[in-house]
Amino acid sequence: MVEKVKARVQELLASGKVKGFIGLRELHGHIGPYLFTDGGDLDGFVIGDRKAAGDTRYPLNTQLIMISRQYPEETLGVLVRGCDERGLKTLFNTNQLKPEKVVSVGIACPQELADVCECMKPFPEEFVAGEASEARPFGSVERIESIEIGERLKVWLGEFAKCIKCYGCRNICPMCYCPECTLEAKDFQAVGSIASENPIFHLTRALHMAGRCIDCGLCSEACPADIPLRTLYKKIADIVDLEFQYRPGYQDSKGKMSPNVLGEAAKH
Amino acid sequence: MEYRTVLTTCTYCGCGCGFYLEVLDGRVVGTIPCKTNPVSEGKLCVKGWNVHEFIHSPKRLTQPLLRKDGALTPVSWDEALDFTAKRMREIKEANGSDSVAFLASAKVTNEENYLIQKFARAAVGTNNVDHCARL
Amino acid sequence: MMCSGMVSPDLILRALSKGADGVLVIGCHLGECHYLEGNYNAAKRVAVLKKLLAFAGVDPARLRVEWLSSAEAPTFVRVTSEFSEQIKALGPSPLKEVA
Repeated sequence: MVEKVKARVQELLASGKVKGFIGLRELHGHIGPYLFTDGGDLDGFVIGDRKAAGDTRYPLNTQLIMISRQYPEETLGVLVRGCDERGLKTLFNTNQLKPEKVVSVGIACPQELADVCECMKPFPEEFVAGEASEARPFGSVERIESIEIGERLKVWLGEFAKCIKCYGCRNICPMCYCPECTLEAKDFQAVGSIASENPIFHLTRALHMAGRCIDCGLCSEACPADIPLRTLYKKIADIVDLEFQYRPGYQDSKGKMSPNVLGEAAKH
Repeated sequence: MEYRTVLTTCTYCGCGCGFYLEVLDGRVVGTIPCKTNPVSEGKLCVKGWNVHEFIHSPKRLTQPLLRKDGALTPVSWDEALDFTAKRMREIKEANGSDSVAFLASAKVTNEENYLIQKFARAAVGTNNVDHCARL
Repeated sequence: MMCSGMVSPDLILRALSKGADGVLVIGCHLGECHYLEGNYNAAKRVAVLKKLLAFAGVDPARLRVEWLSSAEAPTFVRVTSEFSEQIKALGPSPLKEVA
């Protein structure tokens, strides 16, 4: 599978279609993001399946945004799964990236990963390796909804109480690009103190994921307290879909629907 | 265009979480937790997440300073170490081993901390050893 | 607030956690916004927040949005009295205990 991806990346770099390719590299047994710039040197190129499928995924779109801001004229390539591609489309719509300056190389996730992720679309529109797995419904959301409303609050308060306020959920998020964050604004949150205000810290973040979360699940993976953040954000995506018939990244990238479904960001 | 990720270990405490420092054109611009690190498994605390911020701080000490005529003056490592060794020996000889104390650091490795306590106990002869991160 | 469009849902959450047992957002009638779409934004935000509150285990009836002009004093009195009765019946906010 990885050979097909490598061949495509090699071709992109050798032909000069892209100046660099943001992917993953394994070095000394560790896997992390890496910018490949030489098609002849793709040593250590991996797609992020170490011990289990997709167990070493990173928010490559975040690196893409950072490098693109520094080099706005250059075209860059990036490795994408279904979720990353949804992220790209949403980032194009919010003018964080220019579609003509990005070339994505897609891989489809195996069923095993789609099951764990409860992914609605475990493959990008075009992919060079893998096979399209079946979509899975949001079972984790249904499990919360089966709890009686009064008890539900106790469940969430218990989860949020574990928060050590590392801001990891926000920091790892490929869709969190705001230069100023409400979670660090003293009018909205207690700033500079631990623990996080329960439950408004996490509910505020959930609200800000409306029309934005592309369900990659990196937040849950980065959480040192194992708070089921992904379930919370899956629900906000369901709410936005129900209210506005919009689910980030599932529409055409040139579609008119803006991820700013809740109106312009409130100034603070 | 030069973007590199450098795998390293957090300097803030003894846990030893692993992360990649993102280096864009020679400047450290970000931290990404390393998923394959057996200690931290892709997770960090708020300090670890912001560890890249102090690297380019203008307030950071980058060379030894020695107080000369009341003013801190940049000196070479050789001069600083010679001066410290000389004064430490004088103080120890005048007032005994326990007149000297060693303050170790969280920002160095376990092995370096081992060395400093060994130096304190075996070479200088004091148990006055403490550490800035008493977790 | 100058406009219901300035009522950030973050502020509503903050009010609920700082002791308010309910939040009533009152804006101008839809279509009469001086800023064209402020109240439409408020409507969207409240709709999403109500559903999020329900998912988190807070009765969404604690949050309500109404459209009233400054010439509708009797309606304002009716709406606020009705809402406060409703909130009294619901009892203290479960979030207050946490805060």
